[in-house]
Amino acid sequence: MKTHEQMLRQILHQETRRHFLRQGSLALGSIWLASQARAGEQPAVALDLAHPMRPRAPLFAPRARRVIYLHMAGSPSQLELFDYKPELARFDGKDCPASFLEGKTFAFIQGIPKMLGPVYPFQQQGQSGTWMSDRWKYLPEVADELCVVKSLTTDQFNHGPAQLMMHSGSANAGAPSFGAWTTYGLGSENDNLPGFIVLNSGGKNPDAGKSVWGAGYLPSVFQGVQCRTRGEPVLFLSNPKGISSQLRRKTLDALAEINHQTASEIGDPETLSRIAQYELAFRMQTSAAEVFDISKETPGTLEAYGAAPGQESFANNCLLARRLAENGVRFIQLFDWGWDHHGASEPESLSVGLTNKVNAVDRPITALIKDLRQRGLLEDTLILWGGEFGRTPMQENRNGLPMAFPGRDHNPGAFTMWMAGGGVRAGTSFGETDDLGYQAVIDKISVHDLHATLLHLLGFDHLRLTYPVSGVPQRLTNVTKPGSQVVSKLLDSVNGTSSEPRQT
Amino acid sequence: MNTSSQVNQHDRVTHLLPGGTSRSCLGFGLAIPLLVATVYSAATARQSEKPAATGERISFNQTIRPLLQQHCSACHGGVKAAGGISFVYKDRAFGKGDSGEPIIVAGHPEESELIRRVTAHDEEERMPPAKHGVKLSAAQIQTLESWISQGAPWDELWSIQQLQEPPAPALERPTTWGIQPLDAFVAAGWEQAGLSPSPPAKPAEWLRRVSFDLIGLPPTLEEYRTFQDAVTQGEPQAKEQVIDRLLQSPQFGERWASLWMDLARYSDTYGFEQDPARTIWPWRDWVVRAFNCDMPYDQFTIRQIAGDLLDEPSTDDVLATAFHRNTQNNAEGGTDDEEFRLAAVIDRVDTLWTTWQGTTFGCARCHAHPYDPYPQADYFRMLAFFNNTEDADLNDDFPVFTVPDAPEARAQAVKLRETMNRERNAVLNSGHKVLTATSDWAVLTPLSASASAGSLDSDEQGTIRASGTLPVGVSYSISFPVNRPLTALQLFILPDDPSPDRNPERAAVLSHLVATQILKSGERKPLSFGDVVADYLAGPFDPRESLNENAAGFGEFPVTTSDRMAVFVLNEPLSTEAVTIELVMHQKAGANSGFQAAPVRQFQWQGTADPKWTDWLNGAERAEFENAFTTARQAYQAAAGPRVPVLRERRPEAARRTRILARGNRMAPGAEVKPGLPGPFRAPGSNPEPVPTMSRLDLANWLVSHQNPLTARTLANRLWAELFGTGIVETLEDLGTSGAEPSNAKLLDHLAFRLSHEHRWSLKAFLKEVTLSATYGQTATSTDTTPLPDPRNRMVARGPRKRLSAEMIRDQALAMSGLLSAKMYGPPVFPPQPDGVWNTVYSGATWKTSEGEDRYRRALYTYQKRTSGYPAFLTFDAPTRDVCTARRIPTNTPLQALLTLNDPALLECAQALATRAASQSPDPKQQISYAAQLWTLESPAAGMIERLIQLREEALMEYSRDPEASRAIADSPERAALVLVCHALFNLDLALNR
Repeated sequence: MKTHEQMLRQILHQETRRHFLRQGSLALGSIWLASQARAGEQPAVALDLAHPMRPRAPLFAPRARRVIYLHMAGSPSQLELFDYKPELARFDGKDCPASFLEGKTFAFIQGIPKMLGPVYPFQQQGQSGTWMSDRWKYLPEVADELCVVKSLTTDQFNHGPAQLMMHSGSANAGAPSFGAWTTYGLGSENDNLPGFIVLNSGGKNPDAGKSVWGAGYLPSVFQGVQCRTRGEPVLFLSNPKGISSQLRRKTLDALAEINHQTASEIGDPETLSRIAQYELAFRMQTSAAEVFDISKETPGTLEAYGAAPGQESFANNCLLARRLAENGVRFIQLFDWGWDHHGASEPESLSVGLTNKVNAVDRPITALIKDLRQRGLLEDTLILWGGEFGRTPMQENRNGLPMAFPGRDHNPGAFTMWMAGGGVRAGTSFGETDDLGYQAVIDKISVHDLHATLLHLLGFDHLRLTYPVSGVPQRLTNVTKPGSQVVSKLLDSVNGTSSEPRQT
Repeated sequence: MNTSSQVNQHDRVTHLLPGGTSRSCLGFGLAIPLLVATVYSAATARQSEKPAATGERISFNQTIRPLLQQHCSACHGGVKAAGGISFVYKDRAFGKGDSGEPIIVAGHPEESELIRRVTAHDEEERMPPAKHGVKLSAAQIQTLESWISQGAPWDELWSIQQLQEPPAPALERPTTWGIQPLDAFVAAGWEQAGLSPSPPAKPAEWLRRVSFDLIGLPPTLEEYRTFQDAVTQGEPQAKEQVIDRLLQSPQFGERWASLWMDLARYSDTYGFEQDPARTIWPWRDWVVRAFNCDMPYDQFTIRQIAGDLLDEPSTDDVLATAFHRNTQNNAEGGTDDEEFRLAAVIDRVDTLWTTWQGTTFGCARCHAHPYDPYPQADYFRMLAFFNNTEDADLNDDFPVFTVPDAPEARAQAVKLRETMNRERNAVLNSGHKVLTATSDWAVLTPLSASASAGSLDSDEQGTIRASGTLPVGVSYSISFPVNRPLTALQLFILPDDPSPDRNPERAAVLSHLVATQILKSGERKPLSFGDVVADYLAGPFDPRESLNENAAGFGEFPVTTSDRMAVFVLNEPLSTEAVTIELVMHQKAGANSGFQAAPVRQFQWQGTADPKWTDWLNGAERAEFENAFTTARQAYQAAAGPRVPVLRERRPEAARRTRILARGNRMAPGAEVKPGLPGPFRAPGSNPEPVPTMSRLDLANWLVSHQNPLTARTLANRLWAELFGTGIVETLEDLGTSGAEPSNAKLLDHLAFRLSHEHRWSLKAFLKEVTLSATYGQTATSTDTTPLPDPRNRMVARGPRKRLSAEMIRDQALAMSGLLSAKMYGPPVFPPQPDGVWNTVYSGATWKTSEGEDRYRRALYTYQKRTSGYPAFLTFDAPTRDVCTARRIPTNTPLQALLTLNDPALLECAQALATRAASQSPDPKQQISYAAQLWTLESPAAGMIERLIQLREEALMEYSRDPEASRAIADSPERAALVLVCHALFNLDLALNR
C-alpha cells in the first residue's frame, strides 16, 4: 500500500533533491518539516542542516533571547543561603524524626542522624524582602531583580545523574542538554562564536562529565563548546606558524569548493555540516581571541567583578559571560565546582567551605546582574543560578559517625534556585518547604516544570520544541514523564505572553 | 515457539532511547491522528492502538510488554511494586497483589483484576491513576483483553530467548541480488520498508572502506592497482583476495584492539585525582596478538575473565586477566581501600554485562532492575564471582605479575610463581603440624598495658581492647608475667563484632613486633623470633613482615572479616630466669595505601613452652621447605620484565563473603549470597546458588556456551556496528527492554548464529562473510532513484559511509605522509601534544614527547591518561576510559576543524607528505595529483586538482612575498606551497570519511 503520506514524502524528496543539486545544499529541514506536519502540529523548528546555526524565530514572542546559567556544581545548601527555617534551629542537635527517614535513600547518611540548625543568620533584603543569609554581602544589592524558587524537587540524589537531569531532563547520558535545545530552537546570533559556550571554574569538570553540555540525539553542532580561560581560549585556535590568516582563508575556500563537490556526488548531509564547521572554526579564530581578552575592560569593571586577567576564576567567567552575551552567544553555561558541603573536611564544611565559595561568587554575580542591567541586556538575558539538588536539614553522619565539620547530605526533596532578567517575575520568592526545609510542600516544581517555564521564556511551547528520533518526537521535558507544565507565577505578568500553561 | 519471528519487528514504535528515555508517542500520541514514525514503520499502525482482529495472535513482546512498561511499570515494575504487583516478573503478574485479587487470569479477562482496574469508572479505582498518566484507550484495553483471552502468553524478552537459526526469508519478490545468506535477511527488511538496494560501490570506494574497517588504515596506491587488475578477472575473487590479505595483516589486531580498549576501559593510569601511571600495556599487546591469531571469541573471553583459574595456565592466560585490572585505583591519601576495592568489583560486573551481554545490569545493584527481570540478589550473586580476588585498591596495584621479557623465562613464569607460592605454603603447613601437636597454650594476662595514643584495657580472660583515637603509628607496650621458658607466642586478632562481615570493620595489622625478656635480676634481654606461622596466607603481605621494621606486617587489610591467628616462634626459649616478657606492638599505616590507621583493636596473647617449636624452627624439614621456597622465589624474581596487575583468587580459607548491600550501600550489608546466574538463565526451580559453588571460570564458560544467547547477539551487533556505523540494535550497550529495537531482528539472529555456531566464534571468518556480502558492497552514494529516504540508513539499502575514528584520523595522516612506524607492541608513546594540557597537580608526571619512530606510532600506542586524554582523540569522540564505553557517538564540530587545521602534529605530516609527493615528479600538478590520489585511489576529478593547483599558486605567491612564513613551513616557497596543499588534503571531507 502506498499512503498519501508516502507519496507526499516522495515528492518532497524529489523537490529536495532538485534544490540540493541546484544550490548545493541539502535542505533536510523540509523533509523533516513534512514529517512533523503529519504529527498534526506546526513544527517549532525548521532546521536547515546546511545552516544549522542560522538564527530562527521561536513560536511566540520571547522574553529572553539568551541564557546565562550559573551552575554551582555539588549543590549549595539552600538552608544556609535562601531558605530561612527558624524552626530548624529549635531542632538543632536533636535526633532526626523517624518519619524523615522512612523509605528514603541518602548518599551518605546512616542510621539516625541529628538535625542541624541553620548555620547562619538570615535577613530580609530589598523592597521585596527577599530572605538571604548573612553570607551574601553583595547580592542584597540586586535582591529585587531575583525570582527565588524554593520549592524545586528532583528525583536524583547523586551528582552525576542529578546534573544530567538538570541539564537534559534525563538522568542518563544521551539526551540533549538545555543549552543544545536552546541553540537548536533559536540558532545563534553570532556567526563567529559557538552558539553555546561552556566555562568551568573550581578546578574540576562537573561530575557528570561533558554530557551535561552534550547534544545527545540532536545534531552534534548544537553541543556546548568548552572554552579555557587561561592560555588559548580554545585548543588549537591559532594558525600554525607560517600559515597566515589570508592563506588560511584561501585554504578554506578551496576546501569548501571541493567539499561541496563531494557533497553533490555522495549526498551525505554530514559533508555540508562539515563545511559549516570549518567556516565557524575560521571565524572563531579571530573573534574568540578578541572576546576572551578581558584585559581590555576598564579597571573599574574588573574591580566590580573581582576579575583578574590571566586567572582561572568564576569572577573572570562572569565577566566573560557578559562579553559573550553582548556578542550574541545564545547560551552561556558556567560550572563552578566545589559546592558539595558534606562536612568531611574544612573545605567541605558549611562553616568554612561554603563561606569561601559564596565569597568567590557573590561579587561577580552581583556585578554581572548590574552590568547587564546597565547595558540594557538584563531584560532579555535569562540568568539562572543553582545546584542539582538540595541538602538535608539533618547533619551528615557518614558511616553512622558524626562528621568533623557541619555538613549536609544530598536532598532531592527540596532545593532553591533563582532566576533573574529575561521575563521572570523580579523581586519575588516562590514556593515553600516544610518547617524544617526538608520537602517542598507548597507550589512544588519539578525540574521538568522548570524546563517548560524556561523554554516558555525563550518563546517555545515545550511540547512543540521537539526533535524526531526514529520518528518519535522527543523533547527536553521528557516524554516518559508526563505532567510537566509552565509555572506562570514565575513569569513577569505585565509582559507575560498569553500562552496558557499546558499539561501533557 | 519464538513469537517474535511471527510478527514484523518494525511494527513497534514504542521503544526507548539510548539513555533510557522513552521514545514512545503514547502519553500524548493519543491526540494525534496518525503519527508515521519512520518510513519503514509507516505502513502499519502500532498494534496496541488498534484492536486486534479476532484470532490474530497478539505478541507479548511487541504489543503487551511495551504497553505495560509505558503505563504500569513505573509503579508496578522492578523497583516499585505498588500493591505487591509487578509486571516485570511473570510469576508476579500472574499472582495476586496485596488485595488478594488475581491480577491476570489467563483466558479470563473478566476475572483479571488488571482489566477491572483499567476499565473502572470510579476515578479512585481506575489505573493508571490520573496523576500518574492518561487513561488507557478503548483500543488498548481491548488489546489487553484479547491477549488475556488468548491465554495471556508471556514471552521472554527477545534478546534472552534461545538463539536459533532463523529460516532463510521467503522474499515476496525474488531477486538475484545478494551474495551471502545475510543479504536475503537484509532484503527481506527492505520489502517491508519499500526499499531497494543501491548499486555496487566502485572499487576505490569499496577498497578504502574495507581497508579501514579491517585494519584501520587506508589502502596504498599499489594495493589499489593490484585490486583493480584483479577485478577485471572477476570481482568476487578479487574482493576475497583483498579481504584475506587484510585479515592476515598484523595491523588487523591493532585496529580491533582499539575497539576492545574502549570496552576494557584500558588506560595507562590509575584514574582519580592524582592519576598515577600503571603498567598494563603488556595486556594491550596480548589483545593485539589474540586478534591477529584469530583466537576464537570463546577462548578470548574465558582467558580474560578467568585465565588464572585454568588448569596449568600459561603466562598469557594470567596476563589476559589484566582485562579486569583496568579498573580505576584510588591512590589518593585517606581514601578507604575497601570502598574502592568494592567499586572495582562492581565495575567488573557492570563491564562484563555491558561488554558481553549488552545489558544494563548495573541497575540491579541498588534495586531490582526497573524493566528487566533481574532482582537485586541476582546482581550480588554475580558480584560474588568477582569478590574473591586479591586486589584491594592498593597503591602498588597488588597483585602484580612479572611478565618476563625473555621468551624462555616467559614460558616458565607462571610455574615459577606457583612453585614459590606452594613452597611458602609448605613451610606454613609444616608449622601447622606443630600447632596441632601443641597442647600447653596458656593465655598471657597482662601485668601492665599502655598505648602511645588511646588506651588499653584487659579483661580477666586476658583479652585486650584498645579504645579512643588510634592514629597511624600507634604502639602498645604490654608486659606479661612468665613462669616457664616460652618457646612461642600466639596472637589472636579478634574482630569487634562476632560477625564482622555484617558490620564492616576497619583493618587490623600488626606491623612490627618487638619483644624483651626481663630477668629476676632486673636485666633486660632482647628476644628474637625465627618465623611467624599464621593461620593462612592472604592479602598483600607475608606475616613474617611483622618481624621487620618498616614492613607491612600481619593482619587483615583493608577490612577485618574474621579472626586471625599467628604464632611467633622464638629463636631461643625464654631464659629460666625470666619473670616478665614485654611486647611492643607497632602499627603503622595499613599496607602501603596512604594514611589509613589499621591498628589491632581487640586481641589476646598466649604462650607455649613446648620445645617442639624450637625444634621445628631449627629442624631439617623446615629448612628443606624454606630452601625450596627461597630457590623458587629467586627464580621467579630473577626474570626481568614489566610487572602487570592481574587477577588472583584468594585461598579458600581466606575467601570473602558476599552480602546483598541495601541500596548498593556497602555499609548496609544484608543476606549472604553465593555465586549464581541471574533468574532468566536458571532452570525453573533450580537453586540460584548452585552447589558446589560456581567459580569465575564457570561463569566464563557459561558466557560463551550456547545456553547464553546474549553473548553472540551482543558481539554480532557490535561487529555489525563497526562495519555499518550503527548496530542492528542501535544501543550496543543495551539489548534489554529499555534499549532500542532491532532494525532487523532476524538478521541479527542470523548473524549471531553464524558467528557462534557456524564460525565457532572466529571473528575473521565472520568479518570475511560480512565484508564479502552484497549489502556491504553497495555504494554509499545516494542517488536520485532512491525512492524513499531512510536518512540514517538503518535498513542498509546504501553502503555505509562513516567518519573515521579518532585513531584512524591520526593513523591515516601518518600513513599518507609515509611517517607511520610499523613497530608493534611495547610501552605507550608520547606523540606531540600542546603544552599545558596535562594537569600536573599532585603529580610530577610530565609529557615528554617521544623521539625517533615512537613519535609516529599508531594511535593505539599513545599514552592514555584518564584525567587528561590526548586532545586530538577526545575531540574526535574517543572516551576517557574511566568506565566501559560500548559506543562512541560521532560528532561534527568546529573544534574538530580547528584541530585538523592547526594541530602542529598534522602539519608535520603534511610536510612529510609534500616531501613524498615532490619525490614523485618535479611537476607541481603531478605532485598534487599524486598526493590527492592517495585518498581518491582512482584519478582525482579534474576539478579537484585544478582547485588545488589554484591554491598552490595562491600560496606560492604569498610565500614568495613572505620568506619568513615560507621558512617556517619549508625550505623554499615552492615546497611551502606544496605543504599547504597537502595540509588541505588532510582536511577534506573525503579524507575524514571512509
